Amino acid sequence: MHVKEIMKMVLSQRQREELNKAIADYLSSNSYHNALEGLKKDADMPGEVENKYGGLLEKKWTSVIRLQKKVVSELESKLSEYEKEINSGAPKRALRSPSDWIPRAPETHCLTGHRETVIKVIFHPVFNILVSASEDATIKSWDYETGEYERTLKGHTEAIQDIAFDESGKLLVSCSADMTIKLWDFSQTYECIRSMHGHEHSVSGVCFLKGGDFIVSSSRDKTIKMWEVNTGYCVKTFTGHREWVRKVKVSPCGQFLASCSNDHTVKVWIISATQCKADLRGHEHVVECIAWAPAASSSAINEGAGVDQKKNGYEGPFIISGSRDKSIKMWDVASRSCLFTMIGHDNWVRGLVFHPGGKYVISASDDKTLRIWDLANKRNMKTLLAHGHFCTTVDFHRSQPFVITGSVDKTIKVWDCR
Amino acid sequence: MNPCIIPKIPIDIQGDNRWMSQHERHVSEAKEREPDVIMIGDSIIQKLQSSPIWNDLFEPLHCLNFGISGDITQGVLWRIQNGILDNIKPKACVLHVGTNNFGNTPEEISEGILTIIKEIKSKLPECYIILLDLLPRGARPNPLRVRNSKVNEIIHEKVKSISRLEVITVNTGLLQSDDTLSAQDMLDYLHPTDTCYRKIFEPVHELLLQILGEAKDLDKELVGTQ
Repeated sequence: MHVKEIMKMVLSQRQREELNKAIADYLSSNSYHNALEGLKKDADMPGEVENKYGGLLEKKWTSVIRLQKKVVSELESKLSEYEKEINSGAPKRALRSPSDWIPRAPETHCLTGHRETVIKVIFHPVFNILVSASEDATIKSWDYETGEYERTLKGHTEAIQDIAFDESGKLLVSCSADMTIKLWDFSQTYECIRSMHGHEHSVSGVCFLKGGDFIVSSSRDKTIKMWEVNTGYCVKTFTGHREWVRKVKVSPCGQFLASCSNDHTVKVWIISATQCKADLRGHEHVVECIAWAPAASSSAINEGAGVDQKKNGYEGPFIISGSRDKSIKMWDVASRSCLFTMIGHDNWVRGLVFHPGGKYVISASDDKTLRIWDLANKRNMKTLLAHGHFCTTVDFHRSQPFVITGSVDKTIKVWDCR
Repeated sequence: MNPCIIPKIPIDIQGDNRWMSQHERHVSEAKEREPDVIMIGDSIIQKLQSSPIWNDLFEPLHCLNFGISGDITQGVLWRIQNGILDNIKPKACVLHVGTNNFGNTPEEISEGILTIIKEIKSKLPECYIILLDLLPRGARPNPLRVRNSKVNEIIHEKVKSISRLEVITVNTGLLQSDDTLSAQDMLDYLHPTDTCYRKIFEPVHELLLQILGEAKDLDKELVGTQ
């Protein structure tokens, strides 16, 4: 243990030892023998200094300045970009193709009403409605064009973790820390029509299978379960994750599930065989979120992976994942490999959604920002400071120019895209 | 027997059961959240939450605050044996407790703190502990201030052999040349003001960043620019 004084920079024990050795190397290479002997004695550091510390002090000395210059030049280029945007205004929607629409600050609506963290926001597939789920155990719906509140669905007794619509938008499914999954009529009565029990811990992810006859859910009990919508019976259980399964998502073709977990893996399952098809390893912390790439993304993803799509390109399907290790990874399911990693967020990555045009991915993070990533160039092309607290969730409308986000600050924001 | 090392629910002198209500809230927070950092202790820990640096520096680290105003070593011991450490795997734990143990000797209080450290280590063997010196109290030198200094002295000596533990000394940085505490640092000569919290907790934050492996990222970046 070491006693530390306040108002000084603090170093961990390992760093302190490294610094001592680097100084010793510097003294020895400059033939400052008296000082070297003194340092060795004071710091209780007998023997020769190992080679790996050679020149380390000088290296750090110069690299800090280089890093500063790099940071300053990045900041300056960003500043000039923003100045340009202020002077000439943001690009006009009419002048840009929908495939290039991206969310712009400031938000058009900031919706308040939830009493706790907003954990998930999604667009209704048909109407001009967004639906939000919160740790306050309620689901609320809002008109995203006018910003008007519509209604609240009550029934869960603890924090809601995930929600999803079927293709028609007539059924909504929700899951909660109260260990239940609930089905809601979203066309007329807006009432809970079924509660499904079977998981032995918090249920954190839920979605409809293609066709809408089945629901899949993921839980802190380490399993994924499949449920029949008509009867509410559990018809399958997928086991294999070694920890809490955070989210589960069905592939666009409808045959596969992707799941992500506290065990740091992303897994792909064949639904018909109840079997694990791919085990994708690479993240160094809990994997918080996943999304299947739409077909429109294939060429951008191949470009990002550095291959020619027409010659020897990856066929996919592709999955993108976001983790508490702050990185975003793109995976090819067929070859079971990580194609590339995108770094930029300063905190946990909590939400991911593909741009409907396919060229971009939007991410939400505990660093409070929303980021737009250009897949072909693997580049963080825009960052919006979205909320006053962790930004937990993001969705992009499939055909209209709107993005929505939710946060621990209890608000929902609607962002106009141009 | 030393009373400071016996886990105990404090007597609810005021009669509104607030201590227990706060403990129950902490247990339910621990159940749902997955903190990387926890803080345990008395009002010095608790009031950090209403200081601006909580939002700036500590909340982004996924930090939970289990401070209860007025708590003593026996109360903290009871709380860590009764739920606040269950269901979580924090990488670091910040601790400040003992200044409210009125009527106990420095030897007794320091043994209480050491028992708490042992208890945390047995429940969370991987967790790094950051122990804050007991803060000086009272505008001018007084017996409680002397008692706190003595506790710190004993603790410094006794924790030398404990691994994954760092002590942050605070005393010397706060006292002015004439041994008085400034009202700018502590309005009531006990609880830090916002600026004082910054002085005390910025080094704690630095250390937490290193423990959480953030320092590694910066190293990578340095190498990248060469």
